[in-house]
Amino acid sequence: MLSRRGLLHAGLAGTAATALGGLASGCAVPTGSTGRNMVLWYWSGGLSPKVVDEAKARYDSTVNLQAVQIGGYYRSKLLTTMTGRAHVPDIAGLKGEDMASYLPNSSQFVDLRTLGADRLKSQYLDWKWQQGVADDGTLIGFPIDVGPVVHFYQSDVFEKAGLPYEPEDVSKEMGTWEQYFAAGERLQKRIKGSSLLIDIMAVYDNSVNQGAKRYVDKDKNFIGDQEHVRTAWERAVEAKRRGLLSSIVSGTPDANSATENGKLPSQLGASWAAGDLKLNVPKTKGKWRVANCPGGPANSGGSFLAITKACREPERAFEIITWVLNSANQAQGFVDAGLFPSTPASYEMKALRAPDEFFGGQITMDVLGPAAENIPVAYNSPYDVALRQPIVDEIKNVGALGKDPKKAWSDAMSKCRRIADHLGVSF
Amino acid sequence: MATAPTVDKPPAVAPEAPAVHPKKGVLSHWRLYLAISPFYLLFLSFGLIPVGFSLYLSFHRWDGLGSMEFAGLSQYQYLLSDTEFWGSIGNTIVIWALATFPMIALAMVTAVMLNSAVRFKNVYRFAYFLPNVTSVVAVAIIFGSVFSTNFGLANALLQAIGLDQVAWLNTPWGIKVAIGTLMTWQWTGYNAIIFLAGLQTIPGELYEAARMDGAGPVQTFFRITLPLMRPVLLFVMVISTVTGLQSFTEPQVLLQTTANDSTFSGGPDHAGRTMVLYFFQQTFDNNDFGYGAAVAWGIFLVVVLFSIINWRLVQRRDEEQ
Repeated sequence: MLSRRGLLHAGLAGTAATALGGLASGCAVPTGSTGRNMVLWYWSGGLSPKVVDEAKARYDSTVNLQAVQIGGYYRSKLLTTMTGRAHVPDIAGLKGEDMASYLPNSSQFVDLRTLGADRLKSQYLDWKWQQGVADDGTLIGFPIDVGPVVHFYQSDVFEKAGLPYEPEDVSKEMGTWEQYFAAGERLQKRIKGSSLLIDIMAVYDNSVNQGAKRYVDKDKNFIGDQEHVRTAWERAVEAKRRGLLSSIVSGTPDANSATENGKLPSQLGASWAAGDLKLNVPKTKGKWRVANCPGGPANSGGSFLAITKACREPERAFEIITWVLNSANQAQGFVDAGLFPSTPASYEMKALRAPDEFFGGQITMDVLGPAAENIPVAYNSPYDVALRQPIVDEIKNVGALGKDPKKAWSDAMSKCRRIADHLGVSF
Repeated sequence: MATAPTVDKPPAVAPEAPAVHPKKGVLSHWRLYLAISPFYLLFLSFGLIPVGFSLYLSFHRWDGLGSMEFAGLSQYQYLLSDTEFWGSIGNTIVIWALATFPMIALAMVTAVMLNSAVRFKNVYRFAYFLPNVTSVVAVAIIFGSVFSTNFGLANALLQAIGLDQVAWLNTPWGIKVAIGTLMTWQWTGYNAIIFLAGLQTIPGELYEAARMDGAGPVQTFFRITLPLMRPVLLFVMVISTVTGLQSFTEPQVLLQTTANDSTFSGGPDHAGRTMVLYFFQQTFDNNDFGYGAAVAWGIFLVVVLFSIINWRLVQRRDEEQ
């Protein structure tokens, strides 16, 4: 007990010190920075450290660019700071999955159109650009990276199973979900103990992401009960019915060892999943190839930079942002940090067209580039997160626990109805 | 203080009365108040004000950034009818029970053994206390591999004694048992040290007397040790109730998945979604700060309820005595 209390006090003393420090400097700098300082908030791996360093040196004569990596739960820290209206960064990274929740508060950010963003629009992927636009047309987010979903597979296992194993053939002959499932049945018959898919989410989420509609539309209507979600749901249920799902929990050591042993030779993942594979299953180097995702391209992840209202020199900040995120530096970001460029011009650059030994010398950009360019434009509502959750929870119950799909769907819908009602979304 | 019935007292107190005059008393002790003020000032700014603000917040709708909108009691109305919240209370209690009862039994056994150990006493104490000061996140990651299906230690043990594999982190009961085990592992040592402190306050003469009267070790334990340990047991129960009802990191880290999915959903069928996890999901995943605040107050009421139950149980026992 004593040690607990001691700890508590030590902690409080610490917070007091920081609070007092905060108060003191807070008086001098009420919002944002002085003209000279330019604070940039991002997270580890959010930008290429090399490009950030170069930007610091490049703009050194005009501003003192302070790039701060914020650890932990990024969004809640940014929200807290912005709500507190003190020490708000001039430039803030916004994660793609949080983007929709920032958009209704466009007044907190500088409209990048007023700084001349429109003239750069053509250099960026259109669907990505649209994700940074609020309902009132304000442009908040400037595109950093995207996450095109592709089909990673182990070609030796596919060959052993008598499946197509060259990237072009796989892209062509497993181009639809139906073809992919049929191939999966063959795979599982020939390779004992293997599974086509790790879990039901691999089908469900990617299927929804391949469409142009999600869960809530622009006019706050719930559309998660419509055809596009139903199709994804039924496709996921079918994968379960046909026994194509493993019982492995993704992200566990089980998943890694199964992947290494060729029991999960096919994985649908975003461009950044290549980095995970290289990290988690280094022994499989050279066996992997990249092909198109069955059913069409989809996006998963990717983020933005925004200029907050607290920024005193928006023009300068915009200059920095657009330099950091131009096509040459985005190419650098891909090389350094695996950030897939949102600038199609980067895809043609030499650094990105280098053969990748992990993928048997394949030029992965041949698959990733077109996949990124063909992702559909979808409207992301701030209510999507809340209303997607019950459906995802229930499809997981179908996948992991074998819950009756009909019951699961009706449970999901009744939960959605309640949540929609609570959030003021019409059902 | 100012009650009338004690008629015979005022004369005795009267001469001293001016000295304890409330206003003057406060002023004359200003140095002491100043000395303790940091705690209260900090408590005010980091404790009381946030608590008050969360109450205020629970009557509003707020996305954390925009303007607040008054919502009256609607957040609480929704809370009462929210089956997900009630489910999370159930999960929390089951996980708490799965963690606490084995933990108390183990801690007691450990403490008795530590108490009779002759050599390396401090080494043992240190070793048993170590889990409690280890980062929960690191521990949860290790337990994640212990309970993984194909290559986990738990399943290796099961198979060694001829049982089937269990998909621990993929079935509702498996998840609860895994979280409960983690918490047991983490808190056994801490509580054993507290029990040990309690054991050492029991005078040796009592044991001697018991031995003279022919009591065996089991009888001694149940007739002497356990009754005298009641206050310590109560303390341990209260602490583990409070920590158990607020469990968050254990399920969050144990059940997080890599796919861009909520890390607060608590696994299949929400089996590991505790109250605090649910609060986090509502607040930080859904950006529903108003409802999150209402959930937090719901959690507060549940904790209060359990504290009252704890307290009453002990009161009654004392009365029985």
